[in-house]
Amino acid sequence: MGAPFDISYVFSFLPKLLTTLGTTLLIVACSLLSGVLVGFLIALPRLYKVPVLKTCAEIYISFFRGTPILIQLFLFYYGLPEILKLVSVDVTRTPVLFFVILTYGLHTGAFMSEMIRASVTAVDRGQVEAAYATGMTSFQAFSRIVLPQALGIAIPVFSNLVIALLKDTSLAFTLGVMEMTGKAQTLGSISQHFIETYIALALIYLVISFTIEKLLLVAERRLLRHEERSSPAKRMFRLQKNGSYRRIIAELGPGKGGGGL
Amino acid sequence: MIKIEHLSKSFGRHQVLNNIDLTVTKGEVVVILGPSGSGKTTLLRCVNYLEKPGDGEISIGDFRLNCKHARKKEIHQLRQKTAMVFQQYNLFRHKTALENVMEGLLVVKKLPKEEARNRSIALLEKVGLGAKLDAYPSQLSGGQQQRVGIARALALEPEVILFDEPTSALDPELVGEVLAVIRKIAKEGITMIVVTHEMGFARDVANHVVFMDGGVIVEEGTPAEVFNHPREERTKQFLKRITPELNYSI
Amino acid sequence: MKLDPSFIWTAFVQMLSAIPTTLYITLVSVVAGFVIGVAVALIRIYKVPLLYPLAVGYVTFIRGTPMLTHLLLIYFGLPVMIDGLALHFDWAFRSVSIPMIGFAYISFSITAGAYMSEVVRSGLLAVDRGQIEAAYSVGMTTPQALRRIVFPQALGASLPNLSNSVIGMLHGSTLAFTVSVVDINAKAQIVASTNWKFFEAYLAAALIFWGLTLLIERATALIEKRINLYNRGGVV
Repeated sequence: MGAPFDISYVFSFLPKLLTTLGTTLLIVACSLLSGVLVGFLIALPRLYKVPVLKTCAEIYISFFRGTPILIQLFLFYYGLPEILKLVSVDVTRTPVLFFVILTYGLHTGAFMSEMIRASVTAVDRGQVEAAYATGMTSFQAFSRIVLPQALGIAIPVFSNLVIALLKDTSLAFTLGVMEMTGKAQTLGSISQHFIETYIALALIYLVISFTIEKLLLVAERRLLRHEERSSPAKRMFRLQKNGSYRRIIAELGPGKGGGGL
Repeated sequence: MIKIEHLSKSFGRHQVLNNIDLTVTKGEVVVILGPSGSGKTTLLRCVNYLEKPGDGEISIGDFRLNCKHARKKEIHQLRQKTAMVFQQYNLFRHKTALENVMEGLLVVKKLPKEEARNRSIALLEKVGLGAKLDAYPSQLSGGQQQRVGIARALALEPEVILFDEPTSALDPELVGEVLAVIRKIAKEGITMIVVTHEMGFARDVANHVVFMDGGVIVEEGTPAEVFNHPREERTKQFLKRITPELNYSI
Repeated sequence: MKLDPSFIWTAFVQMLSAIPTTLYITLVSVVAGFVIGVAVALIRIYKVPLLYPLAVGYVTFIRGTPMLTHLLLIYFGLPVMIDGLALHFDWAFRSVSIPMIGFAYISFSITAGAYMSEVVRSGLLAVDRGQIEAAYSVGMTTPQALRRIVFPQALGASLPNLSNSVIGMLHGSTLAFTVSVVDINAKAQIVASTNWKFFEAYLAAALIFWGLTLLIERATALIEKRINLYNRGGVV
């Protein structure tokens, strides 16, 4: 199968793959932005327990968490034009990239909303009560007391979600988008050096995920300056303080598990 | 007889225990007092090898353990001869009160299930929890959990039971019931080393009081000696600070 | 091209035959992944020399790259390796005799192993240190303490994460189409393109996956209720 293995191809493929890095990152950035937006919209009715809307939000989340992203991609790519045609909107000229970003945005939004909800609820109730006791309004209490703490709690989950999204973009090739994985497949079949292309591809993903993780770790450290955190190894052998409990709870909820394809 | 010789322990550069010698005769109740950070809890944990001592020897009866060169098997033997009652109770969270007491009997002592069960029920009745056999720790009050902890320690019939501040995590109204149980078993002649802040309890129950500060034993003797005629300045200071509490803590 | 609701049902029925394949892939990868995960988690927690950096590297690599690349690397790389070794040691075995689904099994198990190791590790870390101390104090050895005290509690703590991983692998199994395994997703593609009814076919596939996911979540909730019996009450 294919040409004999030659490590030098890995290096020559790297720059060729990097030409499409822009497309991959564009998908990630746009989806992330829309995902956060959608996430907030979906999380609010659940946090404030708005009757009907809350149920809608729950069904939305259940659907997007309950079906594979690959199926969602096909569903939106093929389904949306047909549905819009019923209301006489023609989207046949819309670029594929739009559908891809839309799907990833809606998909990530479901996970984002879970993250937002879990982090907000993870902030100790006593904090809100103390804020009220000092005479803050509920808006002040949320924006000045709850949000800053919730952000710190959310970041590890957020980091996971961004990396999961990055990895999910590797599926966009199925709709013919020329992002990195699509490019790798083309390169592979032209040169017949499949293994080398995929090694190069994996390396690029690895470096990006690693960078994202480290950057967000720095952000987390800054946001959680007030909680002295012991290293994970130490944590096992110490009593569970409230803080680390909360972190674990926050991580449990909306984590994507093995879902980061 | 339990003998602790030249026991030392440091955390990094900080010397927590400095050349401790302590002898406990059979049936004795030893109470260790001292300000926080004086090393009393660390000493207790070293005796159960939950902390690895830096140096020294621990002997219980004929059994001797060189702390520096302890082998796995010896550590295991030491732990079988000792039992611990923890400040935070540390009951096995996924097991009922009865299962908590049975666990050591089944796994370590390899008793048949029926016998382990009967013994455990008897012990739980002794600590006044005959009605709570099937309750999980999360369904018990702190005082009840600690009494299960004591029953669990008793079940192993160890040479010595180590109590690490058994009442300091408890609400004040629950302290009494736990101390009553410890008193009761102290009267049965079980050897105990107790780290506590309950001065009244120390005065009544102890045969032997040890005052520690800064990782060394400052003074030891009978309760009458240490409480009524302390020789060392540090002991006097400590007692003066803590005595006002005496009036209402018991 | 017009929307044809009745075809959703037709497609659904045609796809039923592909459900076992999807479930096999999920089951194999989850079970093998769990075994790998426990081993890797223990290596990382106990910092086993030599194996520790390998374990960290493995988890970092797998978690940092898409599952699709693992599959493609295994699919193209494994035969080269096996045939190379076979030639060298004169084995009769050749990579052609590996069925396509075998690549999916192997690759997905490797993927799942890395994710599971994180799940197992955080479960183990969630168990209070006092629990293992109490186990030692009643005289248990480390293996006894792990088996009887730590693992059961860790399992309870990591159940939600485990369930997420199972769902993740269920959804991940849709990638198997790239190595020509006919799972639900591939079947949907076939049904869609032969009837030229893409939306309906994928809707049916989505419903099947949704149903399976809800099933897993329900089952988890049930197990959780049983395992975490001791967490009731809420007293400290």
